[in-house]
Amino acid sequence: MNVTLGLLATLVAVLLQVSVMPAISVFGVHPNLVIVLLVAWMSVRGRRETLLLIPAAGLLQGLLDSQPLGLAMLALAPLIIMTEVHELHLTESDLAPALALVALATLVYETTILLSLAVTGDRIDWVASVRDVLVPAAIANALLLLPVYGLMRLASFDFSRRPAY
Amino acid sequence: MQVRTRTWLSLVVAASLVFLAASRIAVFEPLENAALSVAAPVESALRDVTRPIADFVNNLADLNTLADENQALREDNERLTGELARLRESEREAQRLRDLVNVRDVRPEDSFINADVFAQEPNNQQQRIAINRGTSDGILKGMIVLTRQGSLVGRVSEALNNVAWVTLITDPSSAVSGQIQASRVQGVVVGSTDGSLTLEFVEETADVKEGDLVLTSSLGGLYPAGEVIGQVVAVSPAAQELFQSVRVEPLADLTRLESVLVLVSFQPAQVPAP
Repeated sequence: MNVTLGLLATLVAVLLQVSVMPAISVFGVHPNLVIVLLVAWMSVRGRRETLLLIPAAGLLQGLLDSQPLGLAMLALAPLIIMTEVHELHLTESDLAPALALVALATLVYETTILLSLAVTGDRIDWVASVRDVLVPAAIANALLLLPVYGLMRLASFDFSRRPAY
Repeated sequence: MQVRTRTWLSLVVAASLVFLAASRIAVFEPLENAALSVAAPVESALRDVTRPIADFVNNLADLNTLADENQALREDNERLTGELARLRESEREAQRLRDLVNVRDVRPEDSFINADVFAQEPNNQQQRIAINRGTSDGILKGMIVLTRQGSLVGRVSEALNNVAWVTLITDPSSAVSGQIQASRVQGVVVGSTDGSLTLEFVEETADVKEGDLVLTSSLGGLYPAGEVIGQVVAVSPAAQELFQSVRVEPLADLTRLESVLVLVSFQPAQVPAP
């Protein structure tokens, strides 16, 4: 896996996010495959590649969603700080911090979208948004991380064990 | 925080803000239109291919409620079997008519453009769909969108050259002037974060019952009168409140639309500020 593959995976994730994921409802919300992929990539491949994928994902999603270009990138930007938190290796396992980070990234992402709506004059029911969207979305994305992380670990394991000739 | 991280974060945030500012003056509309036009066939294909998987995941998520639902359905089935015999003939006739009726046939005076849905807004705060028709097809911002059977879907909130975004009536920002068909009680149908509809500003004493149909009213001029919004599914006369809480369910499943009709013969009124 390298950055090119990462960009390709990001493009596929964004395409799935705007076309397929809205049809999937977990706890009444749609999981965010883009956030999940970025956090899983951070855990498996490290921060260097992820730092490039974050703005790329934001830009691609901005081109394909109904929001102004730049909003998705802004909402994903806090993941850059999280890459540094992840590098601290606070636990032996990479999975536990990844689960915490994906939940945190989801809360930050959804809150940024909410704030942008509030700034542009939309009526926001904050209590309902936290109860019906933010918390369920954080849990749903943490659940989605498990298979995505597992698949990436598996792929990464195969690559690293390939015998040299 | 490391200097490198801080610098990269600053760059990304600055780029985001520049993009956001430029978006306010529609600088990126051609680019967004091109990206959406290119992606539309891919997204449509992905939606078609993965629909069974999405259904499977949704059913898994509902697994813990299935046992209760099963028991309730058994009881309902017993009760409804008796009613079924009486209703069978009239239902058969109604079904035959539903199959025959196309909204185009019953509304020859109106002009529609057929459009396929190829994407949905990915964030959980807004409920919007993307359709494969745009200004080059005659779609304009503000036009209303119906299902193929004729019930209200929403309004065009953004029209690009080849594609358009439609804000669904279930979106939290949506507010539609509505009325109860039977009693002509007026109200405003608003969306919510959980995708449900509520008929607001219905007086405590107003005559509203479960099963009543809710139609658009022409108040405000944004919607033509008489479009079907949905059906009343719950009425809660709130104690010590001025208004009743009326929950409305759209007739169509707006989360699984595949194609829609844009009503191009209706122009929303431009009401000047007082």
